[in-house]
Amino acid sequence: MSFFITSEVKKVAIMTLSGELDSLSSREFQAEIEKVAAESPKDLVLLVENLSFMSSAGLRVLIFSKQKIGPDLSIYIVKPQPVIVETLEKTGLHHSVNIVDEYSF
Amino acid sequence: MESKLFPGTLDSLDPIRQYVKELSQQAGLDKKATYRLTLAVDEIATNIILYGYEQAGRSGDIQVLSELSDAKLTVIFEDKAIPFDPTTKDLPDEEDFNKPLEERQIGGMGIWLTIKGVDEFKYEYVDDKNRNIFIMHVDPTKT
Repeated sequence: MSFFITSEVKKVAIMTLSGELDSLSSREFQAEIEKVAAESPKDLVLLVENLSFMSSAGLRVLIFSKQKIGPDLSIYIVKPQPVIVETLEKTGLHHSVNIVDEYSF
Repeated sequence: MESKLFPGTLDSLDPIRQYVKELSQQAGLDKKATYRLTLAVDEIATNIILYGYEQAGRSGDIQVLSELSDAKLTVIFEDKAIPFDPTTKDLPDEEDFNKPLEERQIGGMGIWLTIKGVDEFKYEYVDDKNRNIFIMHVDPTKT
C-alpha cells in the first residue's frame, strides 16, 4: 500500500464585488483592501461575475493592493464580464493579474 | 440639442452614466460601444469633479449636451471648473503597461481609456467653460 499526503496553508482574501465600481464606490473597495491588508494575504480573490462596470478608479485600487500588501500578492479576478476584461487588457493590467473562471487553492 | 444638468459631485457619476447609456441606446449603439462611451464620460466627469472642482475648492455643475446627427452621437460636457485639457496629459504607454503592477504609475489610465474608447474626443475652452466632446459613430440603419 502506498500513501501520499501534501498540505498547504495559505492566507487568502476573497471579496465579492457586484454592481458598478466607480470613483465613489472604489472608496469602499479600497477601505476593504486596507482591512484585509493587515492579515497579509498571499492571494486576493475577487469574484466579479456580477460586476457590470469598472472605471480606472477600480484599476487604481488593484494597483494599490499590490503596493499595500506587497509584490508577492497574487490577484485573481474570477469570471469578469467581457467589457471589464477589455479594460484590463487596454491598460495592460491583464499582465499583472490572473483572469480565471474559477479559483482553486 | 438635448441638455441635462448634473451637480459636480461624485454622487452624479451614476446618474450621468445612466443618462448617457439611455442616449447611446436611443442612438442604436451596440453594447460594447455603449459601454465604452459610458466609461469615457465617467472618467472625464470624475476628473472634472475631483480635480476641477473639489481639489480647486470650487463647486459647480456639469451640463451634459447631446445631439444625434450625421450618423454621429455627440455628447458634450460643459463645466466651469479649472481649465483642464485631457488631450495634453501625458498618457501611459506600452512601457508602463508592461511594468509590474506595484511599479505602475497611478494616473492617466482614465484619460487613456476615454481616448481609446470613443471614436473621437475633443477638448475646447470657450467662454470660461471646459468643453469635453465625445463622439461615437452610429450605424444609421439602426436608429
